[in-house]
Amino acid sequence: MNENGADMRYPLEGIRVVDLTVVWSGPGATALLGDLGAEVIRIEGNNRLSRQASAKTTRAMVEHAGWHRNTYPDGDPEPRPYDRSAIFNWHARNKLAACMNLETPEGHEAALKLIAISDVLVENNTNRVLEKLGIGHESLLELNPRLIVARMPPMGMAGPMSNYLGYGPNFNSLVGIAAMDGYEGEDPDSAGENYHMDEAAPAGLAFAVLAGLWDRDRTGRGGLIEFAQAENVMQDIGEYFLDYQMRDRNPAVLGNTDPSLLQDAYRTAEDDRWVVISIRDDRDWTALGEVVGDADWLSLGGTRAQRQENSRKLRDGIAAWCADRPVDDIVTRLQAARVPATEVMSETRLLDDPHLAARDWFQERSHPAVGTYKYPGHPWRADGFDLAFGRALPAFGEDNEYVYKGLLGYSDEQYQDLVERRLVTQEQLA
Amino acid sequence: MSGHDERRQVFTGLRVVDLSRWVAGEYATKLFADFGGDVIKIEKPGDGSHTRRWVPTPDDRPEPEANPLFLHLNTNKRSVAADLRSAAGRDLVLRLIARSDAVVESFRPGHLEKLGLGPDVLHRVNPKLVITRISAFGQSGPYRDREATGIVLQAAGGPMNATGDAHRAPQRKPGLLEQYTIGRTAGEAALAGLYHARRTGKGSTIDVSGQEVLLSSADRRASYLLSTAYSGIDAPRGVRSAHRGSATFTGPFRAADGFVMIYITNQEFWNRLVRLIGAGDEAFQRRFLDRPRLGDDWDDWDDFMAYLHAWFAARPKIEIMEVAEAARIPCTAFLQMDELFVHQHFRQRGAFVTAGHPVAGDLDYLGAPWRMRDGFQLRHTAPALGAHTDEVAAELGATGATSPHQDVSRGTRP
Repeated sequence: MNENGADMRYPLEGIRVVDLTVVWSGPGATALLGDLGAEVIRIEGNNRLSRQASAKTTRAMVEHAGWHRNTYPDGDPEPRPYDRSAIFNWHARNKLAACMNLETPEGHEAALKLIAISDVLVENNTNRVLEKLGIGHESLLELNPRLIVARMPPMGMAGPMSNYLGYGPNFNSLVGIAAMDGYEGEDPDSAGENYHMDEAAPAGLAFAVLAGLWDRDRTGRGGLIEFAQAENVMQDIGEYFLDYQMRDRNPAVLGNTDPSLLQDAYRTAEDDRWVVISIRDDRDWTALGEVVGDADWLSLGGTRAQRQENSRKLRDGIAAWCADRPVDDIVTRLQAARVPATEVMSETRLLDDPHLAARDWFQERSHPAVGTYKYPGHPWRADGFDLAFGRALPAFGEDNEYVYKGLLGYSDEQYQDLVERRLVTQEQLA
Repeated sequence: MSGHDERRQVFTGLRVVDLSRWVAGEYATKLFADFGGDVIKIEKPGDGSHTRRWVPTPDDRPEPEANPLFLHLNTNKRSVAADLRSAAGRDLVLRLIARSDAVVESFRPGHLEKLGLGPDVLHRVNPKLVITRISAFGQSGPYRDREATGIVLQAAGGPMNATGDAHRAPQRKPGLLEQYTIGRTAGEAALAGLYHARRTGKGSTIDVSGQEVLLSSADRRASYLLSTAYSGIDAPRGVRSAHRGSATFTGPFRAADGFVMIYITNQEFWNRLVRLIGAGDEAFQRRFLDRPRLGDDWDDWDDFMAYLHAWFAARPKIEIMEVAEAARIPCTAFLQMDELFVHQHFRQRGAFVTAGHPVAGDLDYLGAPWRMRDGFQLRHTAPALGAHTDEVAAELGATGATSPHQDVSRGTRP
């Protein structure tokens, strides 16, 4: 630990994290640790697609790829697709990248050297991947007893279904979330985009790592954090788990409605622009009435019981009112009357949003691999310490020299040997 | 170092004052309470937290002392009934905060200041304090005072614009999911602040905007925002997993007794699926194996889908999941709460913990969100409104005496 504590700018200054994460939830977690000032070092084999983008992807190949093409700057993956994909770069801020192929003896040795001088290791691979690579947590904790090893298998490391195959939506369905998801009164259908398990994991994992560091200050020891993502996301419907036991029922598919609010999403006069409006109580209803002015349905919703009984009819009335109006007009007038309402925001609108601009939320960054763009900002901000937002992304292998020579003490000759044998490269080969 | 204490947990000795009254704040502080922190909820006398009144269907009558939402969110906490608008209530809370490590609040921006409990006041009585402020749109900016509900947050922050069918309304995620994301993130922020305070002796004030939490999240919103910054194109509605282009075949399918979720992301998974549903049907397999691009631009897509639907509809969901897993195809059953409750995987892992409550009786609560040394324990169920008012007042009144909760962290810094 840095002894000049009082001068620290970031909470995790001096903490080094080895990042073996892939796809969404794990990288989202290590991004949060990087925000806190930890030195997050991604270990990437040049023979794998650790960034969800292949070196072989060409302009011609994505020509017909539909929206997927737009994950690259100007729709162009070349010349280095793995440095240019938004699917990687959204979480890549502050991170370092070192090329290390764990399936080779040289890569294995370098990884162990790095782990020996690190505080945290995070991985979200399938169960047993680390063991197959000879770096299971037991051996790593022997090597470095102060290490915190955070592992994120979706169903946990043990139990009858711990090795079941699946992605986020698969496990959302197992814990009961998918069965609640869909249009009001219809069959459940998560309609394309519900990756809530991925949304839930990063902050939970970062909290768990911080808790591990907190405990290490007392005990001097690190240890294993078993982060079963399904058990973490299950917390987010804990009230239904208790409700089932108390009232013997399963949750219904409510769509955009809510049990205690009069609420829905409504089409506006503008092309495919939608507004959501919630009526919480009688005051909101009166305020809505004053904005709408004159409509026959307004007399049918003065009390909560009436709004519940006439819900469909009232929402049809609100829908008709919204259909003739521009979205900004609806939102501005309702918010002026203190009625909860907002546009269902597209990405384009958010990039120009005056509120986010006033809060300096997006961060403009340049990187030679992509150019200059706005990046999504931090999830929160603090007065009293800083959050890091340095380099927008590490190009593949960008920090090879720093890691091998600077941290691990490889000589010029040793390093050059690995480079010449293509074990350490600045390009992803796969 | 003393011998191992069974009751010791990660946050034993840490005190958090919970001024929040809704899901995000209460979930943030639950993380501390369940891992050993002394979390003291300040509740409005008579009313208590709003989570005592939220019910899952419009026909339910709230039971403030046995409401599922409150019971879930407030395990291991203490409750003090205090009116923050009265001098006595304010005085009690200030004395409590002077001996605490963190405060979490989710009032409208500016309300804490109106109560005379703004960050300046709190830091004067406790310079090391970490104050976490949760709001819909943050503590500054032109929309700071806008009104919000869960769906408003999802629409302003979440990926809602890209959900639902292309020609129908965007669709929010169910339940109170957005609140949990915001709360979990606020908890992470608070703990980061505490870690900083432990290392530097300096307190902080943290601004958690629910909108920004969701905008930065891994539920695709942050990646969509960056994609749009890169290429100028909005994420489309009505396209499953837009990021993956035509490579993904996914969605729920009706089984004989419910639904299954299938998630095919590559050629190998696709071929396994074709072999599974076309077992014994050589013609079907020959026709559909090794299709390089998946999608409804095939002229025989409807044939394939009809075959698939018929195969799923003839089998129970658990059986489908088991045969799919045996063939290593990502395909899982939709479980309901009654099925989750008896599920052998989670039961064998000890994912649920039985505990008694004076009003609600014995219930199984969700257990550890993750496992670590000195981690989760269910020490006691959620408190009755004001159950610990006298106890806490007595602890504060005992001037000079060292509370067992008093800043143990100071004495244990390495």
